[in-house]
Amino acid sequence: MTAQMFFIGFFGIAAIWFGVVVFRTFSMVRSALALLFSQTALGAMFLTMQAEFLGVLQIMMMATEMSIMAIFMVMFMMDPGGMGTMDMTHQKKLSLWAGFVSFVGGVAIAVFVDWGPIAAIAPGAAQQTVDLGLELLGRSMLIFEMAGLTILTAMIAATAISIQPLKKKSQ
Amino acid sequence: MSIELVLALTTGAALFGVGIYGALSQTNLVMIMMGVELILAGAMVNLVAFWRFLHPETAAGQMFVLIVMTVMAIEMAVGFGVAIARFRSRGSVEMEEAVELKG
Repeated sequence: MTAQMFFIGFFGIAAIWFGVVVFRTFSMVRSALALLFSQTALGAMFLTMQAEFLGVLQIMMMATEMSIMAIFMVMFMMDPGGMGTMDMTHQKKLSLWAGFVSFVGGVAIAVFVDWGPIAAIAPGAAQQTVDLGLELLGRSMLIFEMAGLTILTAMIAATAISIQPLKKKSQ
Repeated sequence: MSIELVLALTTGAALFGVGIYGALSQTNLVMIMMGVELILAGAMVNLVAFWRFLHPETAAGQMFVLIVMTVMAIEMAVGFGVAIARFRSRGSVEMEEAVELKG
């Protein structure tokens, strides 16, 4: 067993475990923190797979995203502390089956598909960043620009639907 | 067959499965968004694994991960916008109460 194999397995199990905890706990703050830990374990997994830039980006982005999510959850939930052990689920059996079937299907594809030759080494961290920069500002520039434009549109749309209408405000 | 690749893809499949369960079973909008985040996280693991073990010589795989991260950010921004609007008009983000959205 190589160190890479061990750490991919370790961080993978951690990510799955915290992912399950998100829907198992009654406390919303714990739920948001569990999602943060799950995404951080995923970032560590990216680092193990030698994707340094993406690993660091994932950890930084998710740390801020989940902190904001925790604030919103406390604001919007009827029982944010989970003191009343209120059940906030529906169609549990169907959801469990859908989740299980997706998992089994994914594993079957992972195991039975012939993935072809496996690359032994990846480029160094500095070279990867150079390659990614050239890719983003070269061949994939249109897609990259579209992503930026979509984020801008989403920001405007989110602000527009969440601000209080002027008419209501004056009343 | 590389065990590392299979391990990473299995993690992706498990996160996808947990996310599907969460998105379908939860009644709160914020919790449903958490399920969708896990689904996208599963997709990201697969993309990084494909890049590392199959095509590390091209950066297109990494670029795809950046696009998925963008989708995650957009989902959060628009989702919370809708949640604020819903909370302001109805006082709750419980989706079982949103019967008027039924087709």
